[in-house]
Amino acid sequence: MAVKITVQELHAGYGAVQVLHGISIEVRDGETLALLGTNGNGKSTLMKCLIGDVRPNLGQITLEIDGVRLDLAQLSTNQIVDFGISIVPEGRRLFPQLTVEENLQLGAYRKAARAKISENLDYCYDAFSILKEKRHQPAGSMSGGQQQMLAIARALMSSPRILLVDEPSVGLAPIMVSQAIAKIGELKERFGLTVVMAEQNFQEAMRIADRGYVLVHGEIALAAETAAELKNSDLIQQLYLGT
Amino acid sequence: MFSFELLFEAVVFGLLVGCFYAAISLGLSIAFGLLDVPHIAHAAFLVLAAYMTFLLGSYGLDPLVAAVLIVIPFFFFGVLVYRFYYEAFEKRGADAGVRGIAFFFGIAFLVQVFLSMKFGLDQRTVSAPYIGRSLELGDMRIPWRLIVVLCVAIALTVGLKLYLSKTFQGRAIRAVAQDAWALRIVGANPVLTKQWAFGIATAAAAIGGALLIIVSPVEPSLDRVYIGRTFCVVVLAGLGSMSGTLVAGLILGVIESLVLTMFGASWAPAVAYGLLLLVLAIRPQGLFRQ
Ligand SMILES: Nc1ncnc2c1ncn2[C@@H]1O[C@H](COP(=O)(O)OP(=O)(O)OP(=O)(O)O)[C@@H](O)[C@H]1O
Ligand SMILES: [Mg+2]
Repeated sequence: MAVKITVQELHAGYGAVQVLHGISIEVRDGETLALLGTNGNGKSTLMKCLIGDVRPNLGQITLEIDGVRLDLAQLSTNQIVDFGISIVPEGRRLFPQLTVEENLQLGAYRKAARAKISENLDYCYDAFSILKEKRHQPAGSMSGGQQQMLAIARALMSSPRILLVDEPSVGLAPIMVSQAIAKIGELKERFGLTVVMAEQNFQEAMRIADRGYVLVHGEIALAAETAAELKNSDLIQQLYLGT
Repeated sequence: MFSFELLFEAVVFGLLVGCFYAAISLGLSIAFGLLDVPHIAHAAFLVLAAYMTFLLGSYGLDPLVAAVLIVIPFFFFGVLVYRFYYEAFEKRGADAGVRGIAFFFGIAFLVQVFLSMKFGLDQRTVSAPYIGRSLELGDMRIPWRLIVVLCVAIALTVGLKLYLSKTFQGRAIRAVAQDAWALRIVGANPVLTKQWAFGIATAAAAIGGALLIIVSPVEPSLDRVYIGRTFCVVVLAGLGSMSGTLVAGLILGVIESLVLTMFGASWAPAVAYGLLLLVLAIRPQGLFRQ
């Protein structure tokens, strides 16, 4: 009962624009993996490759799940979601005119999640009391931080094995950033998830990450096995800590 | 001259006719209101369904039974039409809007030509126990066929509303025009969702068409009479709200009926277009937009 994603020599981009130049990473069962890097270095593009939204030009993405090997580069987004990968996308992408509850219910669209919908809904309302309070309001009427919580909860409603989170901190006040990151850590423990989190905010990301990669110009500039190794690296010092 | 009785009768008839307007607009409320498809062939589909009801009626079937029978073929017809529209226009993006209108105009025209060739230009009617008889309430005589329409309209509105709010597929239909990409990441296929929804919209038009021939005789060009009314109802409702569509139908029905009583029949057809323009100018989001 294990999951693993292996990305090998991945090249991808948008039409003529090449963004990723030979990325190789590994996502291991039960870990929280951070994808770090400043603006425009390809974090979201890598996430989109994992969820089947951007097709690689070259390279392989393999998902091993409970002894089955799948080539993610050949699957459509809805098939990938059906195999238990779920994403909190950049920009949240909620259904603004539907209510909070309807957004959550849509999160449970995939067959395997429908059976657990009431259990998961109860859990989400328990974990995010603000969502319970506002469950009959349109999602678009909530504040940015609340919408981010809803996006996380919606992803959880699909009962994923692997949760991809693309920059949960964007557009949030510092206090909300801490809360959102802490929640992700909590949910990971509760559901035994494997988490891949793209984040610019190095300090916040490292509060829950076990290890990480740093992307620079579409390449892996650093692969660190521990949080400490990342923190002490010259690259991180240079990118984030201004020395 | 304007007795209270006359006014009361006008309002009652307006409400009944309004139910009819709502019932024939529900399919468009899905296709145009929820899916953003510029479905100007909707009224032609109603007329097509009315003729199919007529055809089955000629074998002795009650129009309501016929309505149930044509629902499934119309569903698949809708699926095919959407698939074609998607492959030819929507998939290519950009100016799909204007060319889509041309596409549906063409379909409406083809339906009309087909009906003229197959059935001729004469008016067609159906017979049923509830057609031609009235319920007498004091001084008022209410045609039974309008009571049948009332029941079907309410059942259809409630049924669609429950379907769209309580089922996974229904919620996906309401979400797809808001953010198709976001629908993908919850594991649904937006194109198949729209295709399915357009099938349902067309199936609703099948029932609307059966009501059409229950209410009045039909001829191939009758879609012209209803295209303005159905769009008026859908826009007034606020795109995509089912209960809003029912209320908007009632509003149009009552206003039309009052205009008819006070100013004469020749003004009534202008009401729908007038109301449509008024809504677009004053409250383009409609009355019941969520
Ligand atoms: N849809 C697109 N079409 C063309 N180019 C794109 C598209 N999306 C992103 N890019 C380009 O790809 C590059 C990498 O973008 P990406 O979104 O993957 O970076 P990121 O690391 O997620 O950055 P950010 O921190 O700003 O989210 C950028 O130069 C961007 O301009
Ligand atoms: Mg990004």
